[in-house]
Amino acid sequence: MADRGGCCPPMDLFRSEAMQLVQLIIPMESAHLTVSYLGDLGFLQFKDLNSDKSPFQRTYAAQIKRCGEMARKLRFFKEQMLKAGFSTSTKPGAETDIDLDDLEVKLGELEAELIEMNANGEKLQRGYNELLEYKLVLQKGGEFYASAQRTATAQQREMGSQQMGDESIETPLLQEQETSTDLSKQVKLGFITGLVPRGKSMAFERILFRATRGNVLLKQVPAEDPVTDPVSGEKVEKNVFVVFYSGERAKNKILKICEAFGANRYPYAEDLGKQGLMINEVSGRISELKTTIDAGLLLRDNLLQTIGEQFEQWNIKVKKEKSIYHTLNMLSLDVTKKCLVAEGWSPVFATKQIQEALQRAAFDSNSQVGAIFQVLHTRESPPTYFRTNKFTSAFQEIVDAYGVAKYQEANPGVYTIVTFPFLFAVMFGDWGHGICLFLATLFFIVREKKLSSQKLGDITEMTFGGRYVIMMMSLFSIYTGLVYNEFFSVPFELFGRSAYACRDLSCRDATTVGLIKVRETYPFGVDPAWHGSRSELPFLNSLKMKMSILLGVAQMNLGIILSYFNATFFRNSINIWFQFIPQMIFLNSLFGYLSFLIIVKWCTGSQADLYHILIYMFLSPTDELGENQLFPGQKITQIVLLLLALVSVPWMLVPKPFLLKKQHENRHQGQSYAPLESTDETLLSEANHDSHGHDHEEFEFGEVFVHQLIHTIEFVLGAVSNTASYLRLWALSLAHSELSVVFYEKVLLLAWGYNNVIILIVGIIVFIFATVGVLLVMETLSAFLHALRLHWVEFQNKFYEGDGYKFHPFAFALLEDEDD
Amino acid sequence: MGFLVTTLIFSVVGIIASICSRICCNRGPSANLLHLTLVITATVCCWMMWAIVYIAQMKPLIVPILSEGE
Repeated sequence: MADRGGCCPPMDLFRSEAMQLVQLIIPMESAHLTVSYLGDLGFLQFKDLNSDKSPFQRTYAAQIKRCGEMARKLRFFKEQMLKAGFSTSTKPGAETDIDLDDLEVKLGELEAELIEMNANGEKLQRGYNELLEYKLVLQKGGEFYASAQRTATAQQREMGSQQMGDESIETPLLQEQETSTDLSKQVKLGFITGLVPRGKSMAFERILFRATRGNVLLKQVPAEDPVTDPVSGEKVEKNVFVVFYSGERAKNKILKICEAFGANRYPYAEDLGKQGLMINEVSGRISELKTTIDAGLLLRDNLLQTIGEQFEQWNIKVKKEKSIYHTLNMLSLDVTKKCLVAEGWSPVFATKQIQEALQRAAFDSNSQVGAIFQVLHTRESPPTYFRTNKFTSAFQEIVDAYGVAKYQEANPGVYTIVTFPFLFAVMFGDWGHGICLFLATLFFIVREKKLSSQKLGDITEMTFGGRYVIMMMSLFSIYTGLVYNEFFSVPFELFGRSAYACRDLSCRDATTVGLIKVRETYPFGVDPAWHGSRSELPFLNSLKMKMSILLGVAQMNLGIILSYFNATFFRNSINIWFQFIPQMIFLNSLFGYLSFLIIVKWCTGSQADLYHILIYMFLSPTDELGENQLFPGQKITQIVLLLLALVSVPWMLVPKPFLLKKQHENRHQGQSYAPLESTDETLLSEANHDSHGHDHEEFEFGEVFVHQLIHTIEFVLGAVSNTASYLRLWALSLAHSELSVVFYEKVLLLAWGYNNVIILIVGIIVFIFATVGVLLVMETLSAFLHALRLHWVEFQNKFYEGDGYKFHPFAFALLEDEDD
Repeated sequence: MGFLVTTLIFSVVGIIASICSRICCNRGPSANLLHLTLVITATVCCWMMWAIVYIAQMKPLIVPILSEGE
């Protein structure tokens, strides 16, 4: 890393940590342990050296399959535990070292046991439900069996007696036929009893009637409570039915229909005495079965409990092992087949820790040879790694969401920690709302430890993750609220007396010409006299628009200065002379000058029209300024600045491509006579790195020129559009204060004016809901979004490239976050 | 006058805040530089906002015109 400049002392988080490509040669017997210790350490990002192999061709595919099986068993256990209502204990428990083979065997045993218990339980449960239904049939059957049979035998006797009588013309023909057959067979009435689901009972009845041509008697009685159906296991409303039939064919039809409708049939004894016995027997069997089922459930629950105690531990172990084998699959086998070669990125500061881990692993696995640690030199771009803590990680994530920083370029995250909440606060300014937001986020921060181990919903998780961002936002909002002098839109005279008073004692002109400034300027913030006045909006609009321009120009200048630091760090002097300087000149000669004019106008109280000045600076720079003169020598200054701006545009555009071309030619002048490669590097690393080796890239002049043209146009046009974009600071701040005023005056004060307690309470409730819903939630999100946009586009496009990739080490700690 | 005094107050507060951050969390030179940068940036931002609002009110071009019924 010799070509890095060091203009300033190093700052945490400003540039990525120094990363190096390391090669580890690990003997086979200590491979597993080594990877395990490196996973504990979490500072190495392994490169996949077997990327051309499919997952099934890799060395440890079988082990991964085993781990997958074990994971499946663990998921099955978890399902069963959830069904039975157990929760897995989140305590890590005793950290006993579990051997993977033992665990596999144990899991297999437990699974078989659990499946068997479940099957038995189901069988018993089904029998139990059938017995319950049978008992119901017995109870209900007795109620109507007697009456039904009486009706049926009466009918039969009737038919029989009719048959004895003379045949009259009225007797239906069919009836004759049937009775004659009946007589010949002398069949007794048969009956079937059972339960049919209530929803199907009408259809059941109809089909029975049709199928047997009306020759059955069906009686149904609804069962009061829903009954658990033995087959489906759900509670269904059922009717107890009894069907009286005669004949074999009818019986078969009825049986088939019962099966089709899922009506369960149960035998029913005709004899009254037998009925009583049956009921007692069935009741006895039911209670027996219940105790058996309960005992079975108890046994299963015990088993699930023992599993639950160790579940987390096993889960973690299986996940760890699976990840270790995945990592081992990425290592390549050395030619001698006695050791594995690993390549990976790691931060330079972790070198010692990695070497220690390697030594420990070699010692613990009783291997004779230690692992070899070697740093490789490569032209590949390393991953970007920032060491963040719980406070800075949220801000870094915001920056990374747009693009991960290129290796060792300046990290906008450093300034984002302050400027992002600040710009949010400029748009949100109300210290009452700021206090509410602060209390809300304080709740999250105080219960940090507890909430971080819980599983939260999506939105709550996002809010919790950004708790420090919101806290900063709320603190700055309290400050800007004091500056704008708005407490739920009400101003206070906290810092001294208002500067304005009536022109004379009678205050006649107060509503026509207005007040005058009698004292010193109000020392901190906006004077409270402005609130509610007719000229409040023109004043505040002018103030906030100019403030937005000033803040915007300041932030854009910061962005360009950061590009200077980048150019210095990467020793890119072309960028300093032909990009940084013309950009600074262009931006500041136009918009820096505008900012200067704003401040001068404020300081002198002149009535000059700034629009007019700036526009005519371009249209007719040599004209006399007249009443728009803010300072002596203004005309000359403007002409000079205009010329500087005009010169800086070709300065940005033209020289750089030519200089890059010359630079490229200088670098590759002696290429054809390159010396032989030094024999220090191993053959392995050469084979790997030749592909990303020297930049024998061609220099396309046309492409570079077009790239520079685009960059220049983007900057020049962007200078105007980005500056105007900062006016959103004004727009949102205006919206926030207007909403706040409306809710206060039109809800709260209106309710107060009625002098009625109920209306007041309703008014207060509406005010609270409106404030929380619209101002605290919607406006927060809105201002957050716009502040974010200002950072991502207007600030970062001055210097940020953001085309790096993030450092993603192999670490067990990260694993747990991933899988869940 | 009021402007200079308050600007001085801002800078004093900034210096005190940097000293406090150095005392409370002294974690090596690079981390200290980061904390210093953050404190200075925050102080400058807050001062800029106050200064803009103050200067804008020093020599006003329009005055509050009260609305009816105040």
